[in-house]
Amino acid sequence: MDHGSENKLAVRVSQLFKSYKNGTEATRGIDCSVRPGEAVAILGPNGAGKTTFLRQLTTELKPSSGSVEIFGIDAIKDATRAKLLMGVTPQEAGVFETLTVREHLEFFGKIKGLEKHSARMQTNEILESLELDIEAKRKIGELSGGQRRRILIGLALLGKPPLLILDEPTTGLDPVSRRAVWTLLKKVIALGTTVILSTHYMEEAEYLSSRIAFINAGKIIVDGNLTELRSCFPNKYRVNYLNGGGEIGTPHVEFFKDFSSAQQFISERKIAEYQLATASLEDVYFSLVGERLSERDGTRAK
Amino acid sequence: MKKRLSDIFCVFQIHLARLRREAGPFLLTAIVFPIGMYLFASGIAHQNPSEAITNDAKLHFLAASIVFSLSLTAISWLGYLLLENRFTGRLKLFATLPLAPSSYVFGVLIFAVLQGTLGTVSMLAASRVLGVQTQIDGVFGVLLLALVVFIALLSLCGVSVIIAALARSFSEGSLYTDALGAGLVLLAPVYYSAETLPVIMRPLGYVLPTTYIAGAVNKILAGDLFVGEELSILTLMAAATLACGFRVMNWRED
Repeated sequence: MDHGSENKLAVRVSQLFKSYKNGTEATRGIDCSVRPGEAVAILGPNGAGKTTFLRQLTTELKPSSGSVEIFGIDAIKDATRAKLLMGVTPQEAGVFETLTVREHLEFFGKIKGLEKHSARMQTNEILESLELDIEAKRKIGELSGGQRRRILIGLALLGKPPLLILDEPTTGLDPVSRRAVWTLLKKVIALGTTVILSTHYMEEAEYLSSRIAFINAGKIIVDGNLTELRSCFPNKYRVNYLNGGGEIGTPHVEFFKDFSSAQQFISERKIAEYQLATASLEDVYFSLVGERLSERDGTRAK
Repeated sequence: MKKRLSDIFCVFQIHLARLRREAGPFLLTAIVFPIGMYLFASGIAHQNPSEAITNDAKLHFLAASIVFSLSLTAISWLGYLLLENRFTGRLKLFATLPLAPSSYVFGVLIFAVLQGTLGTVSMLAASRVLGVQTQIDGVFGVLLLALVVFIALLSLCGVSVIIAALARSFSEGSLYTDALGAGLVLLAPVYYSAETLPVIMRPLGYVLPTTYIAGAVNKILAGDLFVGEELSILTLMAAATLACGFRVMNWRED
């Protein structure tokens, strides 16, 4: 599918505001650009505005003000044309339970503009990739929640759109299914598809994305790759240990600006069982969204 | 244009698959209940066993029961389906696709027309078992009946679309569709004449589409092809309800 010239941004969002009728300001001036082929993870606490932001990108929700361009197309004015370039997995959406898995994918493939033969071929590919091929003839009403979630991901992949917008795509999936989805998304990303996904799983964000944006209170507070994000967090090292020793010791976490301070801490306290590692994305997350680890499990930074 | 037609056909097929797998409730709604209403109305009218019920009366009740079938199909059944699409997130799924809202509505309308046609044909077939002698005037009469049923369905479907779009919850919407599916037939002079209604309620009959559907169907079943007035009013009502339905049906949230 021709989706514009090389130098065109996949997504360009400018000053995106959304105020609901009850006065809630869900997005408060989001600016964001995504280059073709980038995989961007959106992280943030519940109610931060992630889903509202993504729903505005997918044209499902009309912004109060601001602009959204998808491969140069004004997605607010020309939603149908913009949607031809997108595959979307909403956070919550229903499926047609009386259809079989195959029927559902094929019908939606046709609505995405695929010819009957292509819709069938792509359905086969997707069913295999998502490990749903043995369920192809089953009615969707008979499937588990996780299988339905995978069907929603499959629907987004139909038509091989150049942009995927996935709102918490693996929520509710068991670890095996989640891995299968990750593997598939990795392949899709490797083929040059632009992906924007929201997630609560740090591991998912680290594994899939080349860039991570933190949203809090309706704004992107930090946006960058993992190294850039870690540099925002002054404490580069973490030590996990049991306070009090023995099997009944309380688990504790301490953060240190440098490796030698961490080592010194361990030797001074004569801690026998510990784990010394670089600060994780989750540590950066807690630091950036303002949640204090000390309030959660009694930790403090050195 | 090709894409638009293909989209409409896909939406139609998706809903048709449901009809194939949930035929039982459809049969109840479109055929069993209306036949029950026919028998009920005939039984009430036939108070004196020594006098046989006239064929005119039978035709009147058959026409009324066809209207009942259309109303239950287009408002109660279709309305429920539209509400389900909206409140279970299926509409949200459609909204993620490059599908125009009008294609969705047209696909659903074609599905409703198919259901209504099936119901009407079944009712006409059942009328033979019930001993009703219809006097439809040749092929033209059949075509005219098909046209009346089509326009009638559009006017009633418009009501469903409006309810499905404006309902604040699934339960509120389904209460409206259930109440109106039967109410539009029982409050209009469909099974009985307008004169039997309290004077204060008679104007209601003039604004309800079921009044004109019943009038036109009754005439055609009796061999009278002069239904221009009813057809014109129904066309206006269909245009008004559908225009209103399209206006309020918006899957991009504000």
